[in-house]
Amino acid sequence: MPKPSTQASKLLPYLFEHIDEEQAVTVFHVGPALPETVDFFSNYRCKLHFIDLFSELPFVASEDELPTQVQQFEDLLQLPAHTRIDVCLFWDLFNFLDPAAINAFLTVLYPHLKENSMAHAFSVHNPRATQGSHLYGINQRDTLSSRNRRAALPGYAPHTQGELKELLHCFRLERSVLLPDSRLELLLQARL
Amino acid sequence: MIGPSITIKGEVTGEEDLLIHGKVEGTINLSGNQVCVGESGQVCADIQAKVVKIDGKVTGDITGIEMVVISKSGNVKGNIVAPRVTLEDGAIFKGSIDMDPAGSAFAKTPLASHQTTHAVATPLKASGGLDLKSV
Repeated sequence: MPKPSTQASKLLPYLFEHIDEEQAVTVFHVGPALPETVDFFSNYRCKLHFIDLFSELPFVASEDELPTQVQQFEDLLQLPAHTRIDVCLFWDLFNFLDPAAINAFLTVLYPHLKENSMAHAFSVHNPRATQGSHLYGINQRDTLSSRNRRAALPGYAPHTQGELKELLHCFRLERSVLLPDSRLELLLQARL
Repeated sequence: MIGPSITIKGEVTGEEDLLIHGKVEGTINLSGNQVCVGESGQVCADIQAKVVKIDGKVTGDITGIEMVVISKSGNVKGNIVAPRVTLEDGAIFKGSIDMDPAGSAFAKTPLASHQTTHAVATPLKASGGLDLKSV
């Protein structure tokens, strides 16, 4: 596995603002489990759900195939019915999903959100921004780790921040930070 | 020790540490001891043990009463319940990790460090005492 590098995150700390180490926390992490992420969360009483949707890319379907795509995400996520998520770590997933796939994904995720669920994601300021190809994890409360992927992922088609705000109908955009290379870091809160 | 040419189908219980280099299908319950799945080990079973270390391949749920370690050669598909979990660089894991087994009798116990791989990497003795129940 490629060696990790770290990058400071201004928004990551807000995910944990209302969570203390004694509180049970449920985390939904899109992507493979990285050692540093597991190590970071070992300081919490937590349940981590690692779902590597990136390995299933590309998700392509038309609107009339939505039920099929919902079923596809249900099969992939397989979250227990009682699961209520405190923290979602989407990373750059939405840069690889078309609107129908985002809708299907959120349809499956929605029942597992609660009012104060928080989420982190990467987007782009300019949809022509070049594709990054990284695995992400958490190194510290305010520091991300990233590793280069061995190969670029298929289906890169990022949305503008405005489009994404509309598409992420069960989240409210709380804050965004402009990063180098025209990328954006997003902090989201569930909107139920 | 279960050697590389041995296949066991059934329920493994007992009161001693177990090192698996062969294949096991069924369940493994050594709640007071260590289970180590060696690099050539292939386990298709739920495992419950005090400490579980995976160097090989496991498909099934793992409960570590103290700790679970997936080493760099480990490949696990299943859910893990343990107060402490260590994933080494290169480990492959697919599933969920529950580090808050409050509903069960487990409790976090102080350890000197999270990097406790060495604590379970000692050779496992293979004297008698394991029960193997076929299913």
